[in-house]
Amino acid sequence: MEWESDDKELKAAGAEPLPDSRRGLRIHGWEIESRKLSILNSVHLQRWEKELQTSHLPEMVFGDNCLVLKHVNSGAKFFFNAFDALVGWKHEALPPVEVPAAAKWKFRSKPLQQVVLDYDYTFTTPYCGSETVERNVECGSAITDEGSSCIRWEDCKEKIDLVALASKEPILFYDEIILYEDELADNGISLLTVKVRVMPSGWFLLLRFWLRVDGVLMRLRDTRLHCLFGEHNKYIILRESCWRETTFQALSSKGYPSDSAAYSDPSIIAEILPIVMQKTQKLNIGVSCKQ
Amino acid sequence: MSDLDRQIEQLKRCEPLKESEVKALCLKAMEILVEESNVQRVDAPVTICGDIHGQFYDMKELFKVGGDCPKTNYLFLGDFVDRGFYSVETFLLLLALKVRYPDRITLIRGNHESRQITQVYGFYDECLRKYGSVNVWRYCTDIFDYLSLSALIENKIFSVHGGLSPTISTLDQIRTIDRKQEVPHEGAMCDLLWSDPEDIVDGWGLSPRGAGYLFGGSVVTSFNHTNNIDYICRAHQLVMEGYKWMFNNQIVTVWSAPNYCYRCGNVAAILELDENLNKQFRVFEAAPQESRGAPAKKPPPDYFL
Repeated sequence: MEWESDDKELKAAGAEPLPDSRRGLRIHGWEIESRKLSILNSVHLQRWEKELQTSHLPEMVFGDNCLVLKHVNSGAKFFFNAFDALVGWKHEALPPVEVPAAAKWKFRSKPLQQVVLDYDYTFTTPYCGSETVERNVECGSAITDEGSSCIRWEDCKEKIDLVALASKEPILFYDEIILYEDELADNGISLLTVKVRVMPSGWFLLLRFWLRVDGVLMRLRDTRLHCLFGEHNKYIILRESCWRETTFQALSSKGYPSDSAAYSDPSIIAEILPIVMQKTQKLNIGVSCKQ
Repeated sequence: MSDLDRQIEQLKRCEPLKESEVKALCLKAMEILVEESNVQRVDAPVTICGDIHGQFYDMKELFKVGGDCPKTNYLFLGDFVDRGFYSVETFLLLLALKVRYPDRITLIRGNHESRQITQVYGFYDECLRKYGSVNVWRYCTDIFDYLSLSALIENKIFSVHGGLSPTISTLDQIRTIDRKQEVPHEGAMCDLLWSDPEDIVDGWGLSPRGAGYLFGGSVVTSFNHTNNIDYICRAHQLVMEGYKWMFNNQIVTVWSAPNYCYRCGNVAAILELDENLNKQFRVFEAAPQESRGAPAKKPPPDYFL
C-alpha cells in the first residue's frame, strides 16, 4: 500500500496537497510532484530507441515516471526522469562487463556468422538530475530556457546535515519512483530510482543507481539533494554525489561473502563498498534568478 | 475426495502443503516426468502460457481467462518460480495438476528452474521462510531436473522457454540431450533455456555479457524449414503487450505475468490453439489488489538518508 500524508501535519506546516489527485504538495513556494505510471510499451520504446540512437534499452523503462521540484517564484525546476538518465548512459558508454560464465564460453566453438554486441548492458549512468529555469514565471515568456545560466552549482565544503535529517520530524510527503530497471538477463540487477521526502524544515531526495553483476561487481552511484526552507524565500540546496564500486573478488578477499544473495539491499551494504568519487555542490536560489 | 484432489483445492486457496506432502507429490511427479521426451509431444487444442514467476493470484486470473485444467489443456513454458511472492504455491499447484492430469498439462523447464538461479532470485528464501528449512526447495529443485526442455504441438509448433542454439539444427539433436541435471552454464541445454531472438543480428549474436546467444531471423527461418514447423513459441522476455511476433511471424514471445514484479503495469497473454491450430491470444490483467489476500497496511514513514 502507498504511503499517505496526514492532513493535520500538512496544515500545521503550511503545506497543501496538489489538486486533481496529483501526487505531491505545495510548501514554502515549492511545488513537489511525483508521477508513477507503467513501463513504456513497444511503440514508445521504439521511439526512444530512435531518439537515443540505440537498439538497446533497459527491459523496464518507466518512461512516464518523474519527480519534479519546482520553485514557483524563480521558475527553477529540478526533475528526474529516465530519458535524461539514459542520455547520460549513452554518453558515458562504459565498456561491457563480462559475467563469470563468459570464461567458459570463450572455449565454445563459434557459429559461422557471429557478431559480438558491445554496448554497456549495465545501463550505468552518471545522471544526477535535470534542471531548468522556466522563464515564463518572471518574464511572461513561455519559452523554457534549458540549461539556464541561473542554475549554477558551485563546489563547496559544506556537507548535508545527516544528523538533522535523521531527526524524526513529520514526513509530509514521501514517494519512491523507479526510472528504469533491468535484470541483466538474470545476471544481477540495474536499477535507477529516486526517493523523496518533504518535512516542515525542507525537502530531501536520493537518486540512486544500483548495479550488481552477479559474481563480478557492484556499483552504487548516489546523489542526494537537500533543501532547507529558509527566511525570505531564499534557499540553499546542497547536492552530494557519492560513487562506490567494488568487485566480488575484492570483497571475498576481505572476508565478505561472495554469493550474490548476500547483496540484495544496497542501503545495507553501501558501507562496505569503497568510495571512488565524492563531491558536494551548493546552489543559491533567490531573487537573482530574475532577468 | 482423494488426497491429491484435496491438495489441489488447498493450493488453489494459496495455502502451501505440508513438507511431507510436498515430498510425496514430488516423488509421484518424478515418475511421470522421467518418461517425457526432451521434445514432448503435445496435442491440440492447447493453451500456451509464458512466465509466471510466483505471481499466484495473477495465475488464478490466467485460469479464469483460459479455463480450468483439465477442461482446458495447458502448456507452460517455464519460469514458474522466483521474483513473485508465491513461488511455492504456484509451482506446487502446477505440479499437483500435472500429477492429477498428466495428459492435460505439460510443464517445461525455464532458466529459473535451477538451483543456482533460485538461490539468488527468491524461491530459496521463500521456501526457507515458509517451511523453516530448505527441504522443500531441495525436493522442488530435484524435480526441476526432470522437466522436459521443449514441446512440439501437432508436429507444427515448437515450444521452448528461451530459444535456439547454434549447436542444434534438428529436433532429434534436442532429443539426445541428457537433461537430468542442473542447467549447465553453456551448451545446447543452456541455450534452449536462455537465448533470445534479436532484431539487429541476422545470424548469431553474442551478448555483451560474454555469455548468452542472440539469434536473428535467418536462424529461425532455417530451423523452421529444417524441422518442418510453422513457428516457434517461446517466453523468457517481458513484453508490455503480453505477446510479440518477430521475423515475419516465425517466432512469438508469450508473457503471462501481468504487472510484472507488481510494478511494471504490463498486460499478460496466453495463446489458445484450437484443434485445427487456429490461434487466439487472450490478453489479461493482474488480479485486483483486494483479491490478493495480503493485508493492506499503511507503511511507516521512511527516514531514508
